[in-house]
Amino acid sequence: MAGSNEVNQNESKRVVPLNTWVLISNFKLAYNLLRRADGTFNRELAEFLDRKVPANTIPVDGVFSFDHIDRAAGLFNRVYQPAPENEAQWSIEELGRPLSTTKIVPVIIFFHGGSFTHSSANSAIYDTFCRRLVNTSKAVVVSVNYRRSPEHRYPCAYDDGWAALKWVKSRTWLQSGRDCKVHVYLAGDSSGGNIAHHVAVRAAEAEVEVLGNILLHPMFAGQMRTESERRLDGKYFVTIQDRDWYWRAYLPEGEDRDHPACNPFGPRGKSLKGLNFPKSLVVVAGLDLVQDWQLAYVEGLKESCQNVKLLYLKQATIGFYFLPNNDHFYCLMDEINSFVNSNC
Amino acid sequence: MSLYSSGTSAASSAGSSVSSTTKPSEIDGLLAGAGYRVRSSDLRHVAQRLERLDAAMVNSPAEVSQLASDAVHYNPSDIASWVDSLLSELNQTASLPSDLPELPELMVGPGLNQTVLAEDAWTDHDAPQHQQLNNQFPVMTAMEEDSGIRLVHVLLTCAESVQRGDLAFAGSLIEDMQSLLTRVNTSCGIGKVAGYFIDALSRRIFTPQGVGFGGGVGLDPAYENEVLYHHFYEACPYLKFAHFTANQAILEAFDGHDCVHVVDFNLMHGLQWPALIQALALRPGGPPLLRLTGIGPPSPDGRDSLREVGLRLSELARSVNVRFAFRGVAASRLEDVKPWMLQVNPKEAVAVNSIMQLHRLLGSEPSRNSPIEMVLGWIRNLNPKIMTVIEQEANHNQPGFLDRFTDALYYYSTMFDSLEACTLQPEKALAEIYIQREICNVVCCEGSARVERHEPLAKWRGRLGQAGFRPLHLGSNAFKQASMLLTLFSAEGYCVEEKEGCLTLGWHSRPLIAASAWEAPLALPDANSPAAAPGIFVNPHSNPPINSL
Repeated sequence: MAGSNEVNQNESKRVVPLNTWVLISNFKLAYNLLRRADGTFNRELAEFLDRKVPANTIPVDGVFSFDHIDRAAGLFNRVYQPAPENEAQWSIEELGRPLSTTKIVPVIIFFHGGSFTHSSANSAIYDTFCRRLVNTSKAVVVSVNYRRSPEHRYPCAYDDGWAALKWVKSRTWLQSGRDCKVHVYLAGDSSGGNIAHHVAVRAAEAEVEVLGNILLHPMFAGQMRTESERRLDGKYFVTIQDRDWYWRAYLPEGEDRDHPACNPFGPRGKSLKGLNFPKSLVVVAGLDLVQDWQLAYVEGLKESCQNVKLLYLKQATIGFYFLPNNDHFYCLMDEINSFVNSNC
Repeated sequence: MSLYSSGTSAASSAGSSVSSTTKPSEIDGLLAGAGYRVRSSDLRHVAQRLERLDAAMVNSPAEVSQLASDAVHYNPSDIASWVDSLLSELNQTASLPSDLPELPELMVGPGLNQTVLAEDAWTDHDAPQHQQLNNQFPVMTAMEEDSGIRLVHVLLTCAESVQRGDLAFAGSLIEDMQSLLTRVNTSCGIGKVAGYFIDALSRRIFTPQGVGFGGGVGLDPAYENEVLYHHFYEACPYLKFAHFTANQAILEAFDGHDCVHVVDFNLMHGLQWPALIQALALRPGGPPLLRLTGIGPPSPDGRDSLREVGLRLSELARSVNVRFAFRGVAASRLEDVKPWMLQVNPKEAVAVNSIMQLHRLLGSEPSRNSPIEMVLGWIRNLNPKIMTVIEQEANHNQPGFLDRFTDALYYYSTMFDSLEACTLQPEKALAEIYIQREICNVVCCEGSARVERHEPLAKWRGRLGQAGFRPLHLGSNAFKQASMLLTLFSAEGYCVEEKEGCLTLGWHSRPLIAASAWEAPLALPDANSPAAAPGIFVNPHSNPPINSL
């Protein structure tokens, strides 16, 4: 197998810049060390290896951040806001007021990726990404530090996402516009995209308004093997084997990958027809082995008569948005900007 | 790998022995934003090492799990050395293809190359201003509590008037705040910590300078301090973290040495040492001869508390068959200690252990031959195998009063927050008094009376680097120890983090205490004064200090 691995590495190196290759390969190898064959996870080493950064209320490149901590749950949300126009006159009392009373300021609730197992809201890669998101969309971003598997399986991540949505919706200081309400979008990459979907479903069923979903190569799967999984297995940083491990770690013990958390439009899924589900922007990386499931998700939304836009980035690998050194990154940022700042 | 670019030193000496002829190569800015330090010129090399590691892991899957559990990992930010240490652990003798393909020119998209974009200049992690100030905003401002927010606002306004010298106005604000206090819950949260700060401010405003605050009635302040310290030790994990982390690093540094000598800058009750003694007893190959020199204030009434502690530790050592010798050095201030008092034997491996002591040597103005430089100088001249430095991760030594006050407000409110999880009494109450005394010192005192001059890790790195020390990266073993310690506390919220070889313990995402380890390479001959070595530079770029076990 070593031979085929060499070929694989060469292919991935051809499609990403060198520093991206180093970054994602580093993650891949570290993650290989952390997953144990018996399904347990070396959390201590994972936390040691994860590069984290603190929040910073002093604006850096136009964005400041702070953590709101839920003492009871031991979780935190990291809030990112654009720096105020007049920093000198800005005081903490401003934080108690709505974002704007005239224009609409979107609030994007972001669920970081990591296959439900890795990373945190204060991981450097995600902190950096959220800051970039604030700058390009002029939105407020709330990054949720949800509980991870295998210590906390389904439905913990979804519950934490729902709690975050309710918290955001109830903050007067996140309101904007003449209608004085919080204009919420849900977003996430990989497992975060999966979480965003399920939180949106719950919100729609509870008639809590979410204006849009942004799913960045969301993590879905099913029991059967799709063509893209077979074709791309091991070629661009990701293997079917590791995907399977993460699903086993997240889903309830004994469940298979047709569980509706994993396969929302599969044999055990349900249609969303008739539900007031938000419009969706689904971004698929053409070199991601999970793409067939993501495309099936898009089809499922269409069949449920929901509004969905597919952004298919043919030559993109997973994690293309971590470093702004490729066209796909800028394309993505533009699309997100239009998505949250349009009037529809 | 070193972080000390030659430009940052406030050249305290003619310092031209720094080899600043070649600027350190540029770090890849995009990877820096992801928390990794890789030189742009090194990228290909690192990529090749990653490939080798990948192949090695594929070739020996059984060893991979061992790698994960047994290997000690150091400084994950430095991808190059991390990968190399794993490769050496795997000890690959299997032949790797000698013709690893040359990496093709990598680019994506027309016209795009790997220039770092201006917006990603955000790598300012180490700037103390950015990192520490105002970092804890919302932990104490529960947005729902208007009174809480107003209280903070008035506190800061009051501090600002104190800084301006308008004590009359500041005094009137004290009254405002005291009435605001009646409207918040003062048994926890913002109300409690605000109460202490209002108290500290009013002491500063209304008490003439030079009068110390409170102090025990009839009790010896040093003894009182020991009691409070002990309860602080019990009530929250900060001191235990300090001890665990330092001990782990010292243990690793003493590996292979038969005669070891620990110098403890603040012995107190010697709570740190039983664990080290026991660990040394269990060392494969048997324990070394351990000498412990404990420094502490002189005791009143003819008691020799240092000696009493030493006796207890001796008994413990004897019970586990560790040859042990203790020496107490009584000194009111660390700068009064002279190296000859420690009687260090040139053949011993020396560990210097400083838990929240170095900051007491700082003044607010940097100066030549200041106490800190003097002490760091003689420490260096001892050629210690390791110096463990644990300090509060705070910026309480800034020249401006308002800045200090603001930082302290957020720092201590986070600390009080964490303390709320403690249910042990009277430990919790006494721990609060312990913290309150620190607050008072930071807020009320000036000049030589102000000893709580905390500085953040980033500043200590600079200082220690300038004094000729090299960082020793704390590894995953120390991290694991610290994490295990936290599981003993039911309070969710404490978190240990690793940053560039140092460990911090904090409450949620705010680090409150930072642990680092240092070594002093052989000192250059200094004919003049062994006690006051000016900052002689040893080029830190030459040898990466990573040790793989």
